[in-house]
Amino acid sequence: MLKICTVYFEGFYTPDYVSKLYNSLRKHTTVDFQFICLSDNKNVKADLILPYNHYSDVRKHWHKLKFFSPLFGNQQKNDDIIIMDIDQVILQDIDDLINWPVEENELVTYGQWWENKLGINGGFYKFKSGSLKFIWDDFIKSPEYWQLHYYNEGTVHKKYYGEQNYVKWKIIEHKAKLTKTPSEWLCKYTENYEENLRLNKMYMNKFNTDYMIMGDQVNDKIKIIHFTGVGRKINENYLR
Amino acid sequence: MRIICAKWGEKYTDWHVKNLKHMIDTYSGIDYNKFEVFTKNNYNNMYNKLEIFDTYKDDENIYFDLDMIIYNKVPNLKRKGFTLMYDWWREPYHTPLNSSIVSWTNDISHIWKKFKSNDQYYLKKYPHSIDEFYFKEIEYNTFDKICYSIKGHQYDKEGNKDFSICTLGQMQHLMEKGWNGWWTEYFYS
Repeated sequence: MLKICTVYFEGFYTPDYVSKLYNSLRKHTTVDFQFICLSDNKNVKADLILPYNHYSDVRKHWHKLKFFSPLFGNQQKNDDIIIMDIDQVILQDIDDLINWPVEENELVTYGQWWENKLGINGGFYKFKSGSLKFIWDDFIKSPEYWQLHYYNEGTVHKKYYGEQNYVKWKIIEHKAKLTKTPSEWLCKYTENYEENLRLNKMYMNKFNTDYMIMGDQVNDKIKIIHFTGVGRKINENYLR
Repeated sequence: MRIICAKWGEKYTDWHVKNLKHMIDTYSGIDYNKFEVFTKNNYNNMYNKLEIFDTYKDDENIYFDLDMIIYNKVPNLKRKGFTLMYDWWREPYHTPLNSSIVSWTNDISHIWKKFKSNDQYYLKKYPHSIDEFYFKEIEYNTFDKICYSIKGHQYDKEGNKDFSICTLGQMQHLMEKGWNGWWTEYFYS
């Protein structure tokens, strides 16, 4: 069974982000899956809602890491697990993405075509249930340490960011395989006009193609728009 | 005999209290006549527990933390003097003691009185845990090995047959809905 898992907590985003992701996943894949949302809102649209605990030592998006434990979310042996952020919109058939093959001890993540030293994108993780359980098990031994580690060392500039850095480090430390999906599938979008122009030019040059996104027009290669970056929300045009 | 637990703040809920009582009633074999939930919250931390000794000054008493798994008949836990566990499963760090289970008979309110007489000093001196206060300031006895830790045993198929109690320690998340393991069948539902 494929489980697509996400986290939503009240504060920055609104519950319709979850509905939008759920609906667009159902619309754009023929693959059967269970959609699980870890949330403090009992009314989000999901096949299974698990409670988000505000009083635990685990903060905000770090709750995502729970899905790396095979003990969480009714996981069964041989399940494929996908963890997705809710700040993305699916535009067309994503069977190729959802069905991307994954082996034991392997993490599949979005390939990115823009400057990114990290080489991992927390918006999409796919793995075999339990095969990367060290990511959760190591984290929960010292959650406060890891949640502030990358802020304290200056790698990230906002407290409690650095979850992607942590996952990347654990993948390296445990010698797991890191696989990236074709980067031309992903659109990076920002509200800043100048930056959008720069990103469009970069995309056109990189893939020898037409613009990436212009108004309502999106390049045919693009399957997903990911509104990456601290404090960025989905453009309202795409949330409708 | 009296069973006591403590609940304050938001971390633990009524479910956790019901769950402890359920496990004691169903699996422990402990024969008790009073089940008390201590809810005073003067310090907003584990030091709240010390006032329990000033509140229950008669009879036989056994205190349990709410993050325990009790899955079989427990050994006799009644003790005359102040008795708590030692953390045999880990390095001692600042204290080798663990007050997840405490047993005593009659009046041991001297522990509370000593702390209360200079509480701000002790809070500053032993900020890591109440168990360090016990270790450095109080005469105590320890149980034999009556309990083990879930750490490193969360993937076991069943509870360790050499024990009847397992502490979740820093792994309280395993009590949240959505987590499943050998312990799940013992919890209140």
